[in-house]
Amino acid sequence: MTGGLALFVAAPLAGTALCFVAARSRTLQRSVALVVAVGVTVASIALLVHVDTVGPVTTSMGGWPDAISITFVADRLGALMLVIGNVMMLAVLVYAIGQGSRDEQSPWYAPAYLALIAGVSGAFLAGDLFNLFVCFEILLMASYVLLTLEGSDDQIRSGTTYVVLNVVESLVLVTGVALVFATTGTLSMAELPERLAALPDGVALGLSLLLLVAFGLKAAVFPLFSWLPDSYPAAPSPVSAVFAGLLTKVGVYAILRTQTQWFPDSNRTLLLVVAAATMVVGVVGAIAQADVKRILSFHIVSQIGYMIAGIALGGVAAVAAVVFYVVHHIPVKTSLFLVDGIVEQDEGTSALDRLSGLARRSGLLAVLFLVPALSLAGLPPFSGFIGKLGVVTVGLDQGEWWIVAVALVVSILTLVSMMKIWTGAFWGAAPDTDRDGVLRHHPLMAAVTWFVVALTLAVALFAGPIYGFAERTAADLEPVAATPSGGGAP
Amino acid sequence: MLIVLLTYAVVAVVCLVGHRRSDSWAFPVSVLPHAVGFVWLVSVAPGVLDGTPLVASFEWVPALGLSVDLRVDGFGLLMGLLVTGIGALVSIFSVGYFPATTDRARVAGLLGCFAAAMLGLVWADGLLTLFVFWELTSVASFLLIGTDDRSATARAAALRALLVTGAGGLSLLAGLILLGLAGGTTTLSGLVTADPTGGVVPVALVLVLVGTATKSAQFPFQFWLPGAMAAPTPVSAYLHSATMVKAGIVVVARLAPTFADVGAWRPIVVVCGVGSVLLGGFRSLRQQDAKLALAHGTVSQLGLITILVGLGTPATTYAGVAVLLAHALFKASWFLAVGAVDHATGTRDLRRVRGVRRSAVLATGIVLAAASMAAVPPTLGFVTKEGALEGLLEGGTGWPGALALVGVVLGSVLTVAYTVRLTVGLLGDAPHDPATDHAGGHDHRPGVLLVVPPAVLAVLGLVGGLAAGPVGAWLARVAASLDPASSDGALYLWHGFTPALGLSALALAGGTALWWATRSATATTDAPRSLSTVGYDRAYEALLVGSRRVTGVTQSGSLPLYLGIVLLTVAAASGTAMVVSRDWFDWATVPLANSPLELVACAATALGAVAVVLARQRFGAALALGGSGYLLALVFLLQGAPDLAVTQFLVETVTIAVFLLVLARLPQRFSGAPDWAPLGVRIAVSLVVGLTVAGFALQASTARTEPSVAEEYVARSEPEAGGRNVVNVIIVDFRGFDTLGEITVLAIAGGGVVNLVAAARREQRRKQLLDGADVEDLSGRAPEVWR
Amino acid sequence: MSLAQAALIAVLFSVGTFLVLHRSLTRIILGVGLLGNGVNLLILTSGSVPGDAPILGEGATDLTDPVPQALVLTAIVIGLAIVAFLLSMAYRSWTIDGNDVVEDDLSDRRIAAEPDVAEDFGEET
Repeated sequence: MTGGLALFVAAPLAGTALCFVAARSRTLQRSVALVVAVGVTVASIALLVHVDTVGPVTTSMGGWPDAISITFVADRLGALMLVIGNVMMLAVLVYAIGQGSRDEQSPWYAPAYLALIAGVSGAFLAGDLFNLFVCFEILLMASYVLLTLEGSDDQIRSGTTYVVLNVVESLVLVTGVALVFATTGTLSMAELPERLAALPDGVALGLSLLLLVAFGLKAAVFPLFSWLPDSYPAAPSPVSAVFAGLLTKVGVYAILRTQTQWFPDSNRTLLLVVAAATMVVGVVGAIAQADVKRILSFHIVSQIGYMIAGIALGGVAAVAAVVFYVVHHIPVKTSLFLVDGIVEQDEGTSALDRLSGLARRSGLLAVLFLVPALSLAGLPPFSGFIGKLGVVTVGLDQGEWWIVAVALVVSILTLVSMMKIWTGAFWGAAPDTDRDGVLRHHPLMAAVTWFVVALTLAVALFAGPIYGFAERTAADLEPVAATPSGGGAP
Repeated sequence: MLIVLLTYAVVAVVCLVGHRRSDSWAFPVSVLPHAVGFVWLVSVAPGVLDGTPLVASFEWVPALGLSVDLRVDGFGLLMGLLVTGIGALVSIFSVGYFPATTDRARVAGLLGCFAAAMLGLVWADGLLTLFVFWELTSVASFLLIGTDDRSATARAAALRALLVTGAGGLSLLAGLILLGLAGGTTTLSGLVTADPTGGVVPVALVLVLVGTATKSAQFPFQFWLPGAMAAPTPVSAYLHSATMVKAGIVVVARLAPTFADVGAWRPIVVVCGVGSVLLGGFRSLRQQDAKLALAHGTVSQLGLITILVGLGTPATTYAGVAVLLAHALFKASWFLAVGAVDHATGTRDLRRVRGVRRSAVLATGIVLAAASMAAVPPTLGFVTKEGALEGLLEGGTGWPGALALVGVVLGSVLTVAYTVRLTVGLLGDAPHDPATDHAGGHDHRPGVLLVVPPAVLAVLGLVGGLAAGPVGAWLARVAASLDPASSDGALYLWHGFTPALGLSALALAGGTALWWATRSATATTDAPRSLSTVGYDRAYEALLVGSRRVTGVTQSGSLPLYLGIVLLTVAAASGTAMVVSRDWFDWATVPLANSPLELVACAATALGAVAVVLARQRFGAALALGGSGYLLALVFLLQGAPDLAVTQFLVETVTIAVFLLVLARLPQRFSGAPDWAPLGVRIAVSLVVGLTVAGFALQASTARTEPSVAEEYVARSEPEAGGRNVVNVIIVDFRGFDTLGEITVLAIAGGGVVNLVAAARREQRRKQLLDGADVEDLSGRAPEVWR
Repeated sequence: MSLAQAALIAVLFSVGTFLVLHRSLTRIILGVGLLGNGVNLLILTSGSVPGDAPILGEGATDLTDPVPQALVLTAIVIGLAIVAFLLSMAYRSWTIDGNDVVEDDLSDRRIAAEPDVAEDFGEET
């Protein structure tokens, strides 16, 4: 396995190049994309097993020593995120092929999608801070293109918000990266914890805050979240599904790494307040909306709050809760957007006042919605319950009553707004009975959605082993264990 | 135990999935798991009652102490028998009740899911296990109340029930976790043994009581239960009278013997309980819809049981268990009977029901159930009520106990009154009313499946009363699992002239008199709108409107405003760092400029930048940007970066070229779009951002603690990488992957640009072709075909 | 970093910020360009002190740190890609409605304008 980490980025990039060349054949492009996506998915699962049993893997590009070359590092956290990311992106790729929307027909779709895979994978594996920035840029640029493929009025308007804010985010990020280099003289993420710890107070604080702003914008935390609910709904469903499930979590991943490994024990109160505000503002926004996609988009924001809360609380138990939360949240959120895609395909809208009686038309679709919806709200026995339970238990254990109270109230408000979708769109009389049972969506779309929903159920069912893995991951991230040897825990 | 739950699961899945062609089989099949469960419970009963509970445990998430811990003790056995036994009768009843137009398989499947969850709840020993099943029953109840999802009332009622019980569930969760942490245990049985005190325990208990009050429809959360009557009657009979609403009581019963003395437990339990007893009784007395009257009666009775088990003395605990059994029997019987009446006559309105007496079985059942509900000897209702009064008269619980006694006696008076009223209303023949005789066409004798289940339950109530001795002894063994001291409880059909008997007689007489006095008082059939309901509705509406208000502020939809917020956050981050760095940073050590030329170059670049703002035309602004960029190349050069200067020069040239290409199309002048904030504010924001970022960067640039990695690069550049220009070596070799990434970004962006320009071109062509035709129609739409 | 350089960074950031706070997409792009220049200058001047160009073998002894230069080279090209893409968005925007003004989000404005009109889907009224 050693030496091969670069392939997780290089293979999709090669695919991108191939797709550029094969711009005339959609079939060829799809085949390339599928082969690459399946390949990296399988490989990433193998990598995860390897990392968990043997230990972290490091690849230095160009064969130079670690400290001076760009490295890719797969520790438990990185490998885990890589697996989830690749599985989701593969699933959505298949879904999009089934849907065959106008966007998917574009010759730029496949290359941009593969570049997105490369960027996301690179971000999870990056062992060099500046390279992390470059990977962010790859995934961002790919996302810009995917978001504006149709070039419609709506997409351009909301795309502008998305692109401009993320460009500013890039500028903040690269500023932070530059100042990290300026103060520490290195970009190697393995060496940074030690060197950052030696900095004067103000500098370390400033660096942590700048990176927090950059990654926080990516993760859509309060008060940097507003762009998300405005831009995601304009994207085609598969694209918004992968954005919703994955891209914000790249930000969360980066915050998790930086705040736990580089700046331990700092910003606790700030992060707690940010987390609470994020939860509340997101869920309140969701309640105010009248469109399925917008409701779901606001919930992304709200759910990020739970993860930030866990990061703020700190310690192995809290970080384990966050890791599990991320694992649970990605498939849940993705599946909800996939269901919305099916609804839009069949009904031509996602506006609640024009939807009704969907459960009558397709009971299976209703189940596909209800399971992740209840999971999102944190109801047992679904995965969301376990995720919230982790955060809540740690909060109570540490005596942070108020954040627990906020988390629980937000949880019931989440239920309010998810049930608003349920009672509004799935219950009630079906508007026209002519098409009873005749659905227009491609079977592949339903199949993929089933797969992702089954995945969320599997996360709940096998929560024990997954949580165990999350605890080992959290132990890895403990500042003491994070000495830059690359040896890792047994 | 597991087999029972699995049977339920399998049958539920079969019902929910396999209903494509016909679903008439669904309810008959759904009897099966109930029967299996009942028989199993009967078979294990002797051992369990001898004090050896059955235990099963499955690990789920050990790290969180989350496992499925089940434990069938005496109380669990009783509850299990009720869930399965009444479940079986309800399923049989449903076969005759539901018309083919209902999605019978769905209802049957959900009822099966509910029954399994309910069994899990009453058998739960793990604190979190309890919560898991608790919420599952809430969800099942939600879906079942919404069986008639075309009705807006049903939808709203379902949602209300879910939100109230769901929120209560979260309160329960918080309470249980706190109790678990305080007691260092994850199970109810462990908690009872550990008996933690002090600290958070009183708070945790209040949280638990909030949860149980929502679930068991206790004042002030009782309002969701009457609304839940939107569910089909068999569902109401099962969930909302016999089983689910007992969930709160189950939790109270298990905790009370240990915790009743702690904090505000008894006052809360008694005040809420008495409130429910009286409120439910009054409401029931004024209700013309028989089913709603029963629902209010349920609130009242649940209050009684909560008081009994909540007081936590051995005698009241025993009485509570006994009343619970009696109530489950007669109330389920009542609900099913009303369902049968509704089915047969087409109405549940007490003023309109006619001809129920024609079905002797049904009429007998109603009379017997009524006798039990009103606590008329010799029914089980009577002997258990006697037991309750005995227990309360025993005292020893201070003012809450006294209040409870008064409340229970008054409640009994009300119960007798509304029972008489219901019985007379259902069995007496209302006068013919031409306006309502459309129901006459609906008139038929209820089928055997509709009358036997309620009659069976009612007869059990009578038999139980006649056999008070053995039943009482059996219940004592059940109650012993809650509180060993309850094991000497007993029921008597007759135990002499006691104060309890006097109170019972008083209640019967007073209740009958009350009925007589109020029999012609105005009544209502409306869905009840109690103060709590209004409160809930107001709160819900306020939540919707408030959310829109808040979101209107937080989500302005304005890009400049978002950017302003983001940039101010950046400024705040840098500014904070600057303030903290005050202690060690000395501004005097910073040189004005490294060389005079640098000063000039910097000033010129800055002037170019300012010119970009001042330019009124796009063209001029673009040129100013370019000029500033060229000058910046000079600054780079002076820093010792010739490669950078050259690249900056080239890139700036390309940028200007692209700018000019696009600008040639756009209008010359900037549009005078409305601004989101006054000029002064925008300038202030800009200055704050610029000064803080630059200031922090300046501080940070002096804070280097370790040598740069560059030393390695310089040392290895020539001998190992074979290049003299270190910068070049870095970008193509040491850090080659960055360059690959950068090229990727450029390529993808190129694709995006081509795509958007092509989209723009197509649209322009179309506009030209249409030339004045309805252009608006097509604008903004992408082409149908890409190639 | 000298005061002059810091001041230039401050000017570039201020002017860039001022420009991106406009509604005209062209102005926003101009602002992004200036901010990009400011960031590049920041990378270079915060990470290295002035010195001779890092080219070996020409007798220079006081070499400046080459790493920030390499980083800026990457950042410049990425910046170019971003500006080009934004410009194509401005162009596309112009072909749609004849200007490059960034409008507010419609659904957001609707909610902000009528906060008291609660839409009840499937609720009792």
